[in-house]
Amino acid sequence: MKVLHNIVLFGYGTFGRQLYKNLTAIGYQVRVITGLDDYVELESDKDVDITRINIKRNDDIFSLNINADETIFYCAMNQTATNLFLVLTLKSLYPKSDVVSISNSNETTRKLKYAGASSVIDLYEATSRRIVNVLTKPAVSKALDEIVYNQNDLQMLEIELPQDTFLEGRYVNEINFRQMGLILIAIIDKELGYELVFTDHRINHKLDSGDILVIVAKKEDIERFKEKLIS
Amino acid sequence: MEKTPTHKLLSFAYFLESSKRYNTIKNFFYNLMENDEYPYKKYFDMFMIFVILSSVTLLVMDVKQHIPGWLDDLDLYFVTTIFIVEYLLRMWVFSDIHRVIIDVFEESSYFDKKINLFTLAKAIVKDKWAYISSISAIIDIIAILPSYRGLRVLRVFVLFRAFKMLRYTKSLTGFLYVLKNKKFELMTLLTLSTFFIFIAGIMLYVFEGDNENPNIHNLFDAFYWALITISTVGYGDISPVTPEGRVVTMLIIITGIGLISFVTSIIVSSFNERLGVLREDRVIQAVGKKKKLTVVCGYGLLGRLVVQGLKKEGVEFIIIDKSEEMAEMAYNDGHHAICADASKEEIFKKLDINKRVSHVLCLTSDDIQNAFIAVNVKSLNEKVDVSARCSDHEIAKKMEFAHVDHIIMPEEIAGMMGAVYAGEPVAFEVLLSIIEEKEKTQINEITITEDSFLDNITLGEVNFEKLRLILLGVFKQCEGSKLGEFIFNPDSEFVLNAGDKLVCIGYSTAIANLKRKM
Repeated sequence: MKVLHNIVLFGYGTFGRQLYKNLTAIGYQVRVITGLDDYVELESDKDVDITRINIKRNDDIFSLNINADETIFYCAMNQTATNLFLVLTLKSLYPKSDVVSISNSNETTRKLKYAGASSVIDLYEATSRRIVNVLTKPAVSKALDEIVYNQNDLQMLEIELPQDTFLEGRYVNEINFRQMGLILIAIIDKELGYELVFTDHRINHKLDSGDILVIVAKKEDIERFKEKLIS
Repeated sequence: MEKTPTHKLLSFAYFLESSKRYNTIKNFFYNLMENDEYPYKKYFDMFMIFVILSSVTLLVMDVKQHIPGWLDDLDLYFVTTIFIVEYLLRMWVFSDIHRVIIDVFEESSYFDKKINLFTLAKAIVKDKWAYISSISAIIDIIAILPSYRGLRVLRVFVLFRAFKMLRYTKSLTGFLYVLKNKKFELMTLLTLSTFFIFIAGIMLYVFEGDNENPNIHNLFDAFYWALITISTVGYGDISPVTPEGRVVTMLIIITGIGLISFVTSIIVSSFNERLGVLREDRVIQAVGKKKKLTVVCGYGLLGRLVVQGLKKEGVEFIIIDKSEEMAEMAYNDGHHAICADASKEEIFKKLDINKRVSHVLCLTSDDIQNAFIAVNVKSLNEKVDVSARCSDHEIAKKMEFAHVDHIIMPEEIAGMMGAVYAGEPVAFEVLLSIIEEKEKTQINEITITEDSFLDNITLGEVNFEKLRLILLGVFKQCEGSKLGEFIFNPDSEFVLNAGDKLVCIGYSTAIANLKRKM
């Protein structure tokens, strides 16, 4: 079901390395691009596919032969200005491409979004939330640890309903997700436009193929659910 | 052993040392007079200021109209008694005589020396002399003097009582510190100006003293003129009449301008230096009353965001930053902030780490600095909950070794989220909106209190749908900040008890609603 994208990662600093690790861990092929002189090779980087280019030149980027339609670009250069420049470049070269950038403040996030980044990860926003949560909402921070940050049994993921499943045409309220070990958090209902809606609202969605369910569950329960959807 | 007076004295000293009551009383007076953090000290200070002001008022009134005799007596006996008692009390709490006696005895018995009343007396006097010779004690004793009515000049010493007020107001003592700090510079300038006045005075006396100038009768007049001129006051009651005298005048006026501006600049700059310390004292006093204080070290990008979050959640915090600029910025943003080095123990001692500090967040951009701060804090008090930001995995391991409670790695958190985006863009959006709390839907925790409507019922009986909440899971039996096991998606037979924590997703109003119901 899941389309495995190509991934191009610009920048291989502390964040870049971490992102590379996380992406390869879930099975992606990652191509790393760095500037000509802002990368120091380490012993552990032997297996990493790294290309050095002059990021300021369009020709250098074209020479990478990227199929932009099936690629997610991550901009994780060390400098905010470089990331902003990269987003602008990529968006102007490949208007339909999916560009994610790292940011370090609200202000930068705004600029990156304006430049066309499809999503922006604020390095400090999430971190600061977490620090505050550890202090004021320890249960929340531990629950999020289990679900998001620790790669263990629990997962949060999205499932797009395929054609002709047992859910087709039924209402959310009729189905006991909890009994299947799944907690439905949010839904994108095609009939209601493509907006993301949390399921705490009192809207009883009718499920159709193409709807996207966001679910938190244990791995095994997810697998079982997926099998059930296909059969 | 025979009972010599020395031994009696010694056993009395030991008695005082062990007497709980004596020590409590002494401690009380010490706190009342010397401890700024003691809550009742300010009442004592206010009372003393009142006594001093009334005494000074009486002095001034006495000049033109005679005050009634009883008021004079009141001034004489009541005020003087208070001052004398205060003086003696301060001398008493300044140090412990009985400790001195014990020390002297222990030392002499160690060296097998015979104890001698004279050496003992000498040690005691030496001990108390440190108090008697201090500036504030001298002012105190001079302030008692005017009670002796024989000498008229002594009346003026009542004004020393006004000086006594300095002791009761902290900001004024700050000024004395300034003068003390710049003692060397000020003394140099004083010597220099005395020298100039001396030379100029003598020169003028030589040129004009022998009847040339009718206003200069003696050397004192010449010195007086020199001082008035060099200080650029220039009354003009004495002015030079000979060309030689005028040349001298011109020279010392130029010197005078230099000297005056020099003194001014020294005092002003010294005040600027002192201002930071005064502010620091005030900040520490302001947060001093809080029992659970969170210390945020570092006011960079991350520090600022964390502080915003803490403020929203109503957590009491203080910011420490090594850089003056950052501390100033935090202060201007309306937070309690101090410029200090968090990797040194001094600042944490000042904040009373053993009693007041509950959490320390090390958020500087330098991993090593964070590790340093964390170790510093943990070594001072292991119970303080320390979170440290870290980017380097190797340093993180070292922090773990130092028992840092929470190691927070921004790159890891963001990296994880970046990876989620690749496969699950929708889940990513959900995550972002929950974590960053930008939308109204948020994730929160609710603790079940005793005898509330959720205590001791099964989950099946709770209609979360009606509460408009999505229950993610439950932490069983949480005691204080210790969390039990996380039970994800518990079934409808699951029994809730007081002390359990529910983790829910929902509108902020729905969560607030449930909290209110508890």
